[in-house]
Amino acid sequence: MKKASWVKATYAIEVENLVKRFGDFEAIKSISFKVRRGEVFAFLGPNGAGKTTTVHILTTLLKPTDGKAKVAGLDVVKEAKEVRKKIGIVFQEPSVDRDLTAYENMLIHGGVYGLSGVKLRDKIERLLRFVELWDFKDRLVRHFSGGMQRRLEIARSLLHEPEVLFLDEPTLGLDPQTRVHVWNYIKTIKEEHDMTVFLTTHYMEEAEKLADKIAIIDHGKIIAEGRCDELKKLVGSDVVYVRVDSNAECFEEGDFIKSCKVLRDGRIRIDVENAAEALPKIFEIAREKGVKIVEMTYHQPTLNDVFLHLTGREIRDEGGEFFKTIVRSWMRR
Amino acid sequence: MRAFIIMVYRQIKRFSRAKSRVVGMVVNPLIWLIFFGVGWSGVFKDVRVFGGVNYLTYLAPGIFAMTIFNQSFISGVSVIWDREFGFLKEVLVAPASRKETISGRIVGDSIVATVQGAIILFLTLLITEVRIPGILPTLGVGLLLAVAFSSFGVCLATRIQSMEGFQMIMAVLMLPIIFLSGAIYPINAMPWWMKLLAYINPLTYAVDGARSMLTDVDGVFPLSTDLSILGFLALAFLGIAMFAFERSTLE
Ligand SMILES: Nc1ncnc2c1ncn2[C@@H]1O[C@H](COP(=O)(O)OP(=O)(O)O)[C@@H](O)[C@H]1O
Ligand SMILES: [Mg+2]
Repeated sequence: MKKASWVKATYAIEVENLVKRFGDFEAIKSISFKVRRGEVFAFLGPNGAGKTTTVHILTTLLKPTDGKAKVAGLDVVKEAKEVRKKIGIVFQEPSVDRDLTAYENMLIHGGVYGLSGVKLRDKIERLLRFVELWDFKDRLVRHFSGGMQRRLEIARSLLHEPEVLFLDEPTLGLDPQTRVHVWNYIKTIKEEHDMTVFLTTHYMEEAEKLADKIAIIDHGKIIAEGRCDELKKLVGSDVVYVRVDSNAECFEEGDFIKSCKVLRDGRIRIDVENAAEALPKIFEIAREKGVKIVEMTYHQPTLNDVFLHLTGREIRDEGGEFFKTIVRSWMRR
Repeated sequence: MRAFIIMVYRQIKRFSRAKSRVVGMVVNPLIWLIFFGVGWSGVFKDVRVFGGVNYLTYLAPGIFAMTIFNQSFISGVSVIWDREFGFLKEVLVAPASRKETISGRIVGDSIVATVQGAIILFLTLLITEVRIPGILPTLGVGLLLAVAFSSFGVCLATRIQSMEGFQMIMAVLMLPIIFLSGAIYPINAMPWWMKLLAYINPLTYAVDGARSMLTDVDGVFPLSTDLSILGFLALAFLGIAMFAFERSTLE
């Protein structure tokens, strides 16, 4: 027993100046970040940014070249075995046993984690029902769709009730519908189990929908970190475009308006803090002024704008990864 | 202990699922026995060359050992495949002792390989004159052989980085180990340098032991020598495999 191991730290993950080199190539260039307990933390970045490498270091599969990392208050190098008891992981690449049934996959995972008996069987049933695979429990995983395999992996990673759950690109290569499905599971996990979730992804919507905090990573460096709205502020505010039926004149009433300008095409451009809240107020002002609004559009910055702003590139690079996944699943046959 | 048992369970369960693969692995040695064995036994009319039994009977223990060798060696080396495609990572992030999980896997694979050897042995009963009481102890020899070679395979797998390496190993090692074991022709008639290689080949002792127990042929070595060398090698390779796997990482 570690002394005072029952005193839970504020931070589920603490990383300090972490470096990982593969030969001459520096995949992780001295990154630092902290994840609070119970938080969903997303690592958002394009292919090859170093997301998987970070996950592998935090889950004790790779040794860092330099720097420090703690998970659940334990050092990932010196206390690797203790760390392993506290974590669950869904790998980027599929890692289910295709020649076994869903139930057997769960049973074996439980066994490897020292679980057995009625308790294990109850848990397996509860989790397979949770990911809606109970009706398929005796079917070989070989015949599962990509989405079903992913759901099985999520159920499996929860079996030993980890404190910190790592999800490495959990919806990579899934169709949009299944993706929403998986998102809902992750939300439920967070709400019901108060688990800390470390998620990597290169889908902005995914980070936006799920994460309390986002770190944007590129070429092995964290280039921005914060809540989603904080990050978006980096590229500026929301913009509302208004066209009126009379002479275009700036809207100045109301302190929610940061600035206003009449564009050459006759539209009025209004910079606001929050477009969703501003829209009704703008209608109100227009009514008071006695002008009629004939057209209204607005633009909110996306995380892609943030990435573009910081790196000059788009984050999306789905082709490569997607192709790799296809090739892999083909090779596994 | 739970992790060991569950790994044995996993390997056996996987085997029981892969029916077509099982058939393929039984058919291959049978083709050897029937076409190679029956073909040559027509040529070797003088039974003195093979210690006083017909060639088919002489060959039977060899084919049995060969089957187990093939099966266990490939399953050991296929840990590479697991590293590439997932399951190994599952095991490496688990808090269970890695020594325990890998030895569970090796023992599971060895049981599977021995079962396949047993199937071959029962089929050879139909066309050869092997001694029925020798069968059970021969299966024991088969199990030791399987543990030795699946452990050896795991050791190689922790060193090899790629599938190309896997193919290389298979091409370079498999056939010589079979030819230099006395499975298909006697060691005594080999030139000295081949004999030397045969003596350091673990498969030799399994073939010799199985042949002493199943036929009237006098072994190249006393049975006790065969068994102790094979037992020693099985334990030694198992130990090395456990140690090597304990230290393996994803890099
Ligand atoms: N074992 C390895 N050996 C050498 N280079 C590696 C290894 N693993 C990853 N890399 C390199 O490190 C970089 C980061 O990879 P990775 O962490 O997988 O990125 P991501 O998961 O963000 O797509 C990539 O350029 C990749 O080629
Ligand atoms: Mg990755």
